[in-house]
Amino acid sequence: MKKKVLATLLSAAMVMSLLAGCGGTAAQPAAEPAAQEAAPAEEAAPAEEAAPAEEAAPAEEAAPAEEAAPAEDAPAATGGSGEYTGGTQFDGVTAKEAYKFPVDVKSFQSTYWQAALKGMDMAKAELGVDYDAHGPNSESDIADQVNMLNSDINSNPPGIALAACDTNSVLDSLKDCADKKIPVVCFDTGVADAPEGSVVATVATDNTQAGEVAAENMYKALKDVIAGADKQVRIGEINQDATALNIQQRGMGFVNKITDLIVADGKTVAVVGNEFYANEAKKAHSDLADEKSADVVIEVAVPAQTTVELCSAQAQAILSKEDTIGVFGSNQTAAEGLLAADANLSLLGTDAAAGDVIGVGFDAGSIIKGAISDGTMYGAVTQSPLMMGYYAIYALTMAANGDKVEDFPTAGYWYDASNMDDATIAPNLYD
Amino acid sequence: MADAILVMEDIDKSFPGVHALDHVHFDVRSGEVHALMGENGAGKSTLMKVLTGIYSKDSGTITYEGKEVAFTNTREAQDAGIVIVHQELNMVGDLTVAQNIFIGREFMKGFAIDDKKMIEESKKLFDELHIDINPRDKMSDLTVGKQQMCEIAKAISHQAKVIIFDEPSAALTEKEIEDLFVIIRDLREKGLAIVYISHRMDEIKVITDRVTVMRDGGYVGTLITKDCTKEDIINMMVGRVIYEDPKTESKVPKDAPVVLKVEHLNAGRMVQDVSFERRKGEILGFSGLMGAGRTETARALFGADPKTSGDIYVNGEKVTINSPQDAVKHGIGYLSEDRKRYGIVVQKTITENSTLASLDNYMSGFFINKSEEKKVTEKYIQELATKTPSSDQLVVNLSGGNQQKVVIAKWLVRNCDILIFDEPTRGIDVGAKNEIYKLMNKLASEGKSIIMISSEMTEILRMSDRIVVMCEGKKTGELDISEATQEKIMDKATRDIA
Amino acid sequence: MTKKKSILADQRFIVLLVIIALVVIYMIFSPEFRKYSSILSMLDFSYYDVLMAIGVTFPLITAGVDLSIGTGMVCYALCAGRLIRDFNCPVLVAMLICVLFGTVVGFVNGNLIGVMGLPPFLATLCTCMITRGISSMVMATPWPTNKQPGGWFHSIFKLTFGSGRNALKLPIGFVIVVALVLLMEFVLNHTKFGRYTIAIGSNKEAVILSGINVKFYHVMAYTICGMFAGLAAIAYAAVVPTVQPGTGAGLELDAIGGVFVGGVSATGGYGSVLGTLAGVFVIVLLKTGLPYVGLQANWQQIITGMVLIGAVMIDVAKRRRMAKEQ
Repeated sequence: MKKKVLATLLSAAMVMSLLAGCGGTAAQPAAEPAAQEAAPAEEAAPAEEAAPAEEAAPAEEAAPAEEAAPAEDAPAATGGSGEYTGGTQFDGVTAKEAYKFPVDVKSFQSTYWQAALKGMDMAKAELGVDYDAHGPNSESDIADQVNMLNSDINSNPPGIALAACDTNSVLDSLKDCADKKIPVVCFDTGVADAPEGSVVATVATDNTQAGEVAAENMYKALKDVIAGADKQVRIGEINQDATALNIQQRGMGFVNKITDLIVADGKTVAVVGNEFYANEAKKAHSDLADEKSADVVIEVAVPAQTTVELCSAQAQAILSKEDTIGVFGSNQTAAEGLLAADANLSLLGTDAAAGDVIGVGFDAGSIIKGAISDGTMYGAVTQSPLMMGYYAIYALTMAANGDKVEDFPTAGYWYDASNMDDATIAPNLYD
Repeated sequence: MADAILVMEDIDKSFPGVHALDHVHFDVRSGEVHALMGENGAGKSTLMKVLTGIYSKDSGTITYEGKEVAFTNTREAQDAGIVIVHQELNMVGDLTVAQNIFIGREFMKGFAIDDKKMIEESKKLFDELHIDINPRDKMSDLTVGKQQMCEIAKAISHQAKVIIFDEPSAALTEKEIEDLFVIIRDLREKGLAIVYISHRMDEIKVITDRVTVMRDGGYVGTLITKDCTKEDIINMMVGRVIYEDPKTESKVPKDAPVVLKVEHLNAGRMVQDVSFERRKGEILGFSGLMGAGRTETARALFGADPKTSGDIYVNGEKVTINSPQDAVKHGIGYLSEDRKRYGIVVQKTITENSTLASLDNYMSGFFINKSEEKKVTEKYIQELATKTPSSDQLVVNLSGGNQQKVVIAKWLVRNCDILIFDEPTRGIDVGAKNEIYKLMNKLASEGKSIIMISSEMTEILRMSDRIVVMCEGKKTGELDISEATQEKIMDKATRDIA
Repeated sequence: MTKKKSILADQRFIVLLVIIALVVIYMIFSPEFRKYSSILSMLDFSYYDVLMAIGVTFPLITAGVDLSIGTGMVCYALCAGRLIRDFNCPVLVAMLICVLFGTVVGFVNGNLIGVMGLPPFLATLCTCMITRGISSMVMATPWPTNKQPGGWFHSIFKLTFGSGRNALKLPIGFVIVVALVLLMEFVLNHTKFGRYTIAIGSNKEAVILSGINVKFYHVMAYTICGMFAGLAAIAYAAVVPTVQPGTGAGLELDAIGGVFVGGVSATGGYGSVLGTLAGVFVIVLLKTGLPYVGLQANWQQIITGMVLIGAVMIDVAKRRRMAKEQ
């Protein structure tokens, strides 16, 4: 335990010095996101299709899910800068008291959450507040998390930060929060049906946008192959499950966007595999072809359990098909499963024209980072757990102060071998 | 006499490779006790299983109360009034007597079980049978004898017309058997038909009216009990005379060295300050009623149960025995009364059982030397005349007597000089019993020392050189065989009982 | 009295047929499954299951169980991975630590059960929770990849010649686990430890009263099991890119299920390690093979459950037959 605390503190210190180094304005929260956004914007190439689409102003209503209405005039950028800065609502925030917030994360399983805690540590140091993080052993231990949340509620804290393992299971507890007037800030995962008055703000990745970023970048690599194909080609997607909202949004963001892109270039598309995703795709696109006649088949696979080995089995089955040209793994587990499957096939690479299968991942971790830097994986989309953690604490502090807080969507950023060491990307790429 | 209430005619039943019942005839009348005899494997149990529907017959007819019947399970037979009181009691130890008697047909009061009524009904039953048992007692707190009484009460409560007793006396003491007989006679008076399966010749003579003998799945004959002798029946069963006379005096010299001395052994309520010594080549009989503490003494001596105090000397040297391991190290072997539970590993072969206690001697390096193992096993199969096709036979497929021989072999292979036989002939048929007796005598004459715990008076008188009598955890007497009589032993065995 | 050994008496034969049937079905319906690489992948993900199963065969034969092997395996792999990353621990040493850690946990289980008399289910449930708790304190850690220093350990399970698409890969891990299976089958049938393990499962009381140090052999059975969980941790780290903290619960069930499919009696007293190997492969085939034939993966668990019922029914039928013969 001591080691862990030490490690967390050390890394927090490192990140802080890094930020201090590049911006010199680490004390001003609003300045950082701006710095962060600047770079990604540059590499968001496919300019004409007005990207992720949120209205520039911080959405009034709205978990990220709801704000997907395309807006022609939005800045054509991946996670275009404006809408993700959170405006200036966090400018000059100070804590009225030395609050101590309970933070319920989904687990401590991956370094993803460690990065989120790093962000919280930064905010904590700046605001002079404190937090106390709890999490179950694994993301599937839903009941454990609800218990932790309930015991947090019972201690009547000034506010709670929550990354819900299961968005339905926490509804009763959120109702209690509303009754007790404890403000809740959801981070990482929004709770769409949260009871009135419980969730004051959501700080989460816009998963639909993140999936779209993956689709845009994969299509860039595959565009010529698809255009030049004389027979059917296949694009795979491995989703860890078909129930979690964030995975659903990511998965559908990818499927819908890549379908749009392919159809725009005059080819036909069929979406097959997992029923949920296939049906959602049918709802979104009336012009889908059937599996036999389509030029491009998008195959969505979901394993029985969220383990790497089962993700890998699914990936293996898709990769083994002769006509597969690209595969997207929509979270760390799925992406690592894809890499594990490729260990025996060695089909993945960055040169689609030479017959490489284009592999696109999600999140980070040293395995995925290693695969991207050595050219096995084409690239991946990263969230910003650091920023989510950071802003969650800011949002909580404002709420505890009694101020009104807005939702704060954070973007997914594309990274590949060329930009992964950039100062704006690297801090989010946890090990 | 009245017509038979139950007639089984020409019953035939084959299992793969075994002709278990070969056109067997059997009938029983209301108001009689009819013994069904035969060695183990003669087909008695199979016949009763066919009757109660556990097995289906291949051919033959069963006529019950004038109608032909074919029960398909014990429940049907029970409902018709045919009930078996099993040798192994089928009681749920954690339930009360009343709950056991009415299990499966509880009186209900709405959705709740009417315990009060069950207790009342049980009381009525016990009164009728003149049994003194409190229906509120937990079954596991009763003695085996009392549990058996409960089984009988349960049978009666089924409105039984035919009661089959399957070796009812096997686990009972002499006193308890007396009580049982009172009840059986009572039932006979009431007009029930009773089938009595037993190996014990004395009991047959005392309690039954007719005897049907079976041998090797076949029907041998039916006799009127009072018109025949023990020898007649035994001859029908085995075709040879097998009883030897009791020992009259010990052949062990009085100055033979003491190989085992136990002083002031204490282990709980059942073993209080027990001391005895045993000489080389001697068979020391332990007599007493069920629950006298004989088995407990043996287990404490063997280290199987913890003892609170007491010294044990083997060959004059004081030894520490805290576990069976220690006991075996000092050459003590224990043959449990409950072979299947404590003696043998039933699903394993004769070889594996024989060398279980002495594998160390059959190792080459890390590995078991299977050929040596087999050699020694086969040696003892021959020496003990164990009936088996091969040393690879699973012990489960052997008869009781042969299983006992495997356990004996286990200790002989281990080279144990002191052997504790706890009820060595329980559940073993007459012929095989005799073989075990001979074997024990032979072992004794070879210089092994034997402690024999037995509830059968004839066995004690026949085998022992000296007899230790226990009662309620205490040693109440010690008799040389030359002075021992049934009466003297029984006197000491019941000394403390009011 | 001696009976001919019927097919029913040897469950291993049936299991072998099931394996062949599964492979044939997969091969017919999925051209992808016929590829060498698919077989390789299936084998990659089978080694840790097989190793766990070899180990847990022993407690199961004693009529016990070890629930801690799944979370234990993950815990050992994580701790060792952490040592490699943060303390520059040589991979070989880390591997030894895995095995040692596993052996110690097995020894603890053995003492709780064999000496202190806790029910196996309960005792190992506790160590299952403890190892899971320990592992959730350790950060997610990948062991060195093939290309990194220390990555040589991957070639214990898969020898790779050349690189890229045309590299020749030999699944020598299969040879190793088969060798271990044969070794443990021999141990089970030809050593005192094996003999007593079976005897304890069949009739513990009789073994105690034969003057055998049952406690020692009971502890041994669990210690061996723990040791194999430690070996499994190495195999697990070799195939799973990032070992995730707090996971592993449920992995033991694949191994235990495989052991039962392989014919170990559900009430102890009978079993074979060869059967375990076959049984685990049935589970692995169901786990990793069904996606190839396009079945939604949920079916894997349903079908596995049904196969288990089948296996246990064979065991029940076998015992019922024995009871009748008695």
